[in-house]
Amino acid sequence: MLTLTSPVETPLHRLPAGAKLAALAVFTLVLFRLSSPLPLAGAAALVAALHLPWGRTFALHALRMLRPLWPFVAVVALWHLWTRDLHGGAVILLRMVAAVAAANLVTMTTRLSDMLAVFETLARPLSPILPPRRLALAFALVIRFIPTLSDRMALLAQASRARSPRRPGWRLAVPATLAALDGADQAAEALRARGGSD
Amino acid sequence: MGGITLQDAGYSAGGKVILSGLSLHLEEPRIGIVGRNGSGKTTLLRLIAGLVAPSAGTVRVDGINPFADRKGALSRLGILFQNPEHQILFPTVEEELAFGLRQQGMPQRQALEAARAALAAEGRGHWAKAPVSTLSGGQKHWLCLQAVLLMAPATILLDEPFAGLDLPSIARVSRRLAALPQRLVTISHDTAAVAGADRVIWLEAGRIRTDGPPAEVLPGFTAEMARIGEADADADLAG
Amino acid sequence: MERDLTHIALFAALVAILGLVPQITLAGGVPITAQSLGIMLCGTVLGAKRGALAVLLFLALVAAGLPLLSGGRGGIGVFAGPSVGYLVGFPVAAFVAGWIMERTTLPAGLAAGAASVIGGIAVLYLFGIPGMAIVLDKTLPEAAMLGMAFLPGDILKAVLAGFVTQGIARMRPGSLLSRA
Repeated sequence: MLTLTSPVETPLHRLPAGAKLAALAVFTLVLFRLSSPLPLAGAAALVAALHLPWGRTFALHALRMLRPLWPFVAVVALWHLWTRDLHGGAVILLRMVAAVAAANLVTMTTRLSDMLAVFETLARPLSPILPPRRLALAFALVIRFIPTLSDRMALLAQASRARSPRRPGWRLAVPATLAALDGADQAAEALRARGGSD
Repeated sequence: MGGITLQDAGYSAGGKVILSGLSLHLEEPRIGIVGRNGSGKTTLLRLIAGLVAPSAGTVRVDGINPFADRKGALSRLGILFQNPEHQILFPTVEEELAFGLRQQGMPQRQALEAARAALAAEGRGHWAKAPVSTLSGGQKHWLCLQAVLLMAPATILLDEPFAGLDLPSIARVSRRLAALPQRLVTISHDTAAVAGADRVIWLEAGRIRTDGPPAEVLPGFTAEMARIGEADADADLAG
Repeated sequence: MERDLTHIALFAALVAILGLVPQITLAGGVPITAQSLGIMLCGTVLGAKRGALAVLLFLALVAAGLPLLSGGRGGIGVFAGPSVGYLVGFPVAAFVAGWIMERTTLPAGLAAGAASVIGGIAVLYLFGIPGMAIVLDKTLPEAAMLGMAFLPGDILKAVLAGFVTQGIARMRPGSLLSRA
C-alpha cells in the first residue's frame, strides 16, 4: 500500500525508528516550552535545514504534507493581523509548523514496518491483555483489507452507475458496512482454519 | 483410529437443518463429494475441517475432535476455500505463507525463510514481498494452496477447487493436485472434478443419496441433474 | 476470539476507506468526508469496546505512516497539528456511541442516531475544540466558532449512521454486535 515514507533514501532513513521518535518527542516538548519568536524561528530553521540536503523531490513531498495546515495558518495570520498581535501570531505559527514538519520528517524517513515494530515494542507491557502477535496480526489484517474494501466500493459505485443516473454518494454506506461485516466473518473463518488468533 | 469419521452428524443454523444423520468413514486417498447448490456440501467440509461444531453427532479426524482441538487439527487438515479472497489474511505473499507455520509453532524468522524457500522452489522467489492485492485470481488460488501445503496436513479439503479458473489454470491445478501425496477431499457440483476419485459421495438436501466408486455414483447424479434442469422452477427461497 | 479481532480490523479498514470517499463540499465551502461516519459506525455497530479498539487500530496505522485520514493525511505530524483533539476524541467518541447503543432499548436506528449525536458529535467536539484552542493558542469560544463550521455535516452523518445501523439491524441482526 501507498505509504508516506519518502522513496528518496536519505541517511535519516538508516537511523533507528525508536531513536527518531524519542528525538521528536523531546523536540516537540521543547517547542511548547519556547514562547518567543526568535528561538522558535531557530527551531523551524533547524527542521527546514534537515529537509534541504536531500534534493527537490524530498522537499516538495514535505511541503505537500504540510498543505492541510494552510487554512489554519491563514485563519491565525488574519486573526493576529486584525488584533495587531504579530508577536503572538508568529509564536503560534512557527511552533505549529515546526512541530508538524518535524513529525512529518520522521514519518517520511521511517518505513511503515519499522514504525509498526516500534509500536509493537511499546505495547509489550500490555502483553497480558494484548499479546504482541495479536497486535501484529491486527495491523496486517487492516493493511490486507483496505485495498479489498476499496475495490469493493469501486464495484458498488459502478453497479450503481449502471442502473442510476444519480451519484451514489452516501447510498454506498450501507453496502460498504455490510462488506466490512462479511469480510470480518470470512477472515474469522480463515483464521480459524489456520489455528485461530493465539 | 485413522481417517475421518462422522457418526450421525448433523448441523442446523437459524432453525434450518442443513445436514442430518451423516455417518461416514473416509480413508481413501481421493474422495469426491458432489451435490447441487445448497445441498450442504460446503457445510460438510466446514464440519470436517472443524470450523463449525456439529449440532448433533460427532466428527473425528484420526480420533481427535477437529473443532475443539485446533492445534491437533492443523497437522491433520488443511482447507482450501472456494474464494481465495476469503482465505488470504495478510498483505504480502511471504507473510501469508509464513502465518500457517507460525501457527504450528515455528519462530517468525524461520517461518519467513521457509516461505521464501518454498516460493523459490516454485520459481516464484520474486513474489515474496508482492502485495497480495496485485495477484491475479489464478495466482491468489496458487498462493492459498501453497499456504495450505506448507503446513503439511495429512488431508486437504478442497471446496470447488476449479471454480473461477480459466482453462490453463484448471489444467495446472489438476496436475498439481494429482501429484500430491495427501488425502484429498474435493467437493464440487462438477462431475469432471471428481471423476478420478476412489470414492464419490452424492449429497442431497443434507443427506447422503449414494456413496460408492465414481462409476456407480456419477451416472445417476448426472441423469438426475439433467432431469431437474428440464424443469423451469427454481423459485423456492431458502429459509 | 477470532471474530472480535477480525471485526475490529475490518472496521478500522472501513474507517480508512470512508475517508477516501471523495469529499462533498457543503454550502460555505466546508469539506465533509464520510470518515467521521466511520467512527460513529464503529461504536453503533461494534459496541463500545470493540468500536474504540477499531478506531485506535486505525489511528495507530495513521501514525505509522499510512495516509488514511481524510484528504490523504497521515503520519505523526497530524498529531502535532490543530486537529489533534479530534483524533484523540475519535476512540472516545466511538466508545461513548457504542456504550449508549448497548444500554438503550430504543429501536436500533433511533438509538444509533442519538448515540452518534452524543458520542460522534458532542463528545468528539469536547476533545476537538480544546485541541484546536491549545495548538492555535485561542480561547475556547474562539476555537468553538471555528469548530462549528463542521456541525451541519456532522449532524447529517449522525442521521446517516442511524440509517446505516438500522439497515444492518434489519438485514443482518446477528452482525449488530452492539446489540448482540
